[in-house]
Amino acid sequence: MLALATVTLVQLRGDIEQSHAALVLLLVVLGGSASGGRALGYILATLGFLLIDYFFQAPYGLLSVGKALDWVLLAAFLASAFVATELLARAKEEADTARARTEEVASLSRLGSATLKHARAEDGLHEAGSLIRSTLGAQWCTIRQVNGSLRDTGWTSTADAADDTSLARQRILEAQIVGRVAAGLDEREVALAVAGGDVSIVSIDSYAGHDAVEALGLPLYAESRLVGVLIVGGDTSASIVFDAARRRFMATIAYYAALGLERVRLAQEAGEAHALREANRMKDEVLATVSHDLRTPLTTIKVLAQAAGLRGDPAAGIIEEQADRLARMVTNVLDLSTIRAGSLHLEIGLNTAEDVIAAAVSQVQGRLLGRRIVTTFDLDERELIARFDFVQTLRILGNLLDNAMRYTPPGGAVEIDASRDGPWLAIRILDVGPGVAEAERTRIFEAFYRPKSQAPDGGAAGLGLSIAQRLAEVQEGSVAYAPRPGGGSIFTLRLPAVDWDPTLLEDM
Amino acid sequence: MQKTLTVFQSQTRAGEAPSPGRSQWAQTAVEAAPLVLIIDDERELRTAVGAALIVAGMQTREAETGRAGVKLAAHENPDLILLDLGLPDCRGIDVCGELRSWTSSPIIALSARHAELDKVAMLRAGADDYVSKPFGMTELIARVEAQLRRARTPHRDLPAVFDVDDLHIDMALGIVSRNADPIRLTRTEWGIFRTLVQWAGRPVPHQEMFNAVWGRQFGNPSQYLRVYVTHLRRKIERDVSTPRVIITEPGIGYRLGSD
Repeated sequence: MLALATVTLVQLRGDIEQSHAALVLLLVVLGGSASGGRALGYILATLGFLLIDYFFQAPYGLLSVGKALDWVLLAAFLASAFVATELLARAKEEADTARARTEEVASLSRLGSATLKHARAEDGLHEAGSLIRSTLGAQWCTIRQVNGSLRDTGWTSTADAADDTSLARQRILEAQIVGRVAAGLDEREVALAVAGGDVSIVSIDSYAGHDAVEALGLPLYAESRLVGVLIVGGDTSASIVFDAARRRFMATIAYYAALGLERVRLAQEAGEAHALREANRMKDEVLATVSHDLRTPLTTIKVLAQAAGLRGDPAAGIIEEQADRLARMVTNVLDLSTIRAGSLHLEIGLNTAEDVIAAAVSQVQGRLLGRRIVTTFDLDERELIARFDFVQTLRILGNLLDNAMRYTPPGGAVEIDASRDGPWLAIRILDVGPGVAEAERTRIFEAFYRPKSQAPDGGAAGLGLSIAQRLAEVQEGSVAYAPRPGGGSIFTLRLPAVDWDPTLLEDM
Repeated sequence: MQKTLTVFQSQTRAGEAPSPGRSQWAQTAVEAAPLVLIIDDERELRTAVGAALIVAGMQTREAETGRAGVKLAAHENPDLILLDLGLPDCRGIDVCGELRSWTSSPIIALSARHAELDKVAMLRAGADDYVSKPFGMTELIARVEAQLRRARTPHRDLPAVFDVDDLHIDMALGIVSRNADPIRLTRTEWGIFRTLVQWAGRPVPHQEMFNAVWGRQFGNPSQYLRVYVTHLRRKIERDVSTPRVIITEPGIGYRLGSD
């Protein structure tokens, strides 16, 4: 271009001034630097300088300057050409940077939406992996989950290498890097697997790319907790140059990948919670079915026994009584499994001692068999209030009353009273039975324990006291045994008492 | 028992069009035995309970499934329905709601479950009472007879004057008295008592009691229901350790005693 312009201008040398030639050549320099960059611009400017001196300034054909004014022209040409070249080059650089930024932002937003847009968290992470691979120009990309202890690797998403040989190599590199990350890697560090088989650790801020690198691993942190590792690799990974923009990009990638992994983890946890709820529901269903299936035939037995009793069958009463006992055992076994499974339904509220004791006495009414229950309330005192579940407390009292009656001969009496005992409401059940031997006092609350001093009518399942104690404990209360002065037992149920506050009852 | 019977029947005013199921029983009770429909999937239980009810002077029909039960009820218009909660084909609560949508005959739920929530749900769905398995025939017959005696008393038909245990109650004047001595009740206590009377011996679930006495307001009073009831019992029961007027239905609520 420069040569062509020069030849043309030389032909016209007689008709034009040297400044015209300089302007034309300056145009060529600008064109050159715009298309070819800074270096070409400077070279053309220098050449133009020489050409003007050689062809268009007298003496023609020599690199010497005749007039002082010619120096001015040459200097002006050179300065204009250099400044224009420099300005053009800078503008181009800025445009390039801007384009790179736009690209970066676009790929990050693609990554962001890839991580989040999918309904299944795994799909999102998988797409993020593919996107990272293509953005970095790597052959493969793996995002691996690490749970709690790093050795325990969990879920993996890979955008794999294309052929089998590369895939085999990929697996080895992955294992190496995961092993190295397991040994500990900070947030701003990167693990590099080099051709020799070593893995080295460098700070991401000082890494600028290295020829021998086959794969590099980036630790993924979420809330200052290591959640996974991002590994990219393949032959081209050596060419991944870590300039400032790339570092920024990698940090953001790591952030998105960590986010994606967290989403996978949360989805897994939600799935497990759902499975757990489902298992609990099924367990409850099984308990309900067992309960139904056992109680229905017992009802039939009872009803038939009563009918037989009306016809004068002497065994009918015993059959009915035994069916009742069996029903109580079924209830106890089911209660115990419910408590142990932790699926006991509690409705803790304000209740009174009188209400629950009266209900308990009315419940055992049918099986007193000649025994009496003597209830003592102090009606001169305010009602005793406590915080407990009515139904479960009724079960406790029922079990304690059954236990007391077991050791009370027909004609004898079981006593029950209630009082305030510091922070507790204390309900006592007193019998005149043989009491509990010193050595057995802690063991009577164990499930299926049957004391050696077993009552003569026997047959206790050994669950009643154990259930009573557990039911008291889940209500933040307790059941305790004490020998009764003069013989017999005192079982005391303690529940959190509530102070009487007359202002709470509007119009009592 | 006899006293209560008289009082509850006296509420049906002369000249008023009687409601179908209920009054039919009232009119035919003298000549025909009441018809009880038993819906339970256990054949043995149906047979045993049915035989015992016949001995007690009733007629019975049996259905094995919820669907068959509803169909039979529509056909036979029974005076009372015994409904098992653990039916194989549908939920007891759905059957209960279905029946209640067109019949006013009392429904007694037979529950083998422990969960009080189920029973409350049944009462809300329109059941009049429930009996827990395994029940005895004495208990069941008592409940059946009590339900046959009681109308599902609509509010406008509240009895004006009646007796429970040794109490005399004048609903219009709001006076409760024993041996002609009036017992002073507070506004809240009267509210509780009146609600129990309105439910005519059916168990009143806690929530329904809260709503009736305190309205739908939230706050402290309702959680003191048990304290109020205990206090009320001290005023009206002869022996607070064996209440006969206000009966506790554990985990469900309270009901008015009748016998």
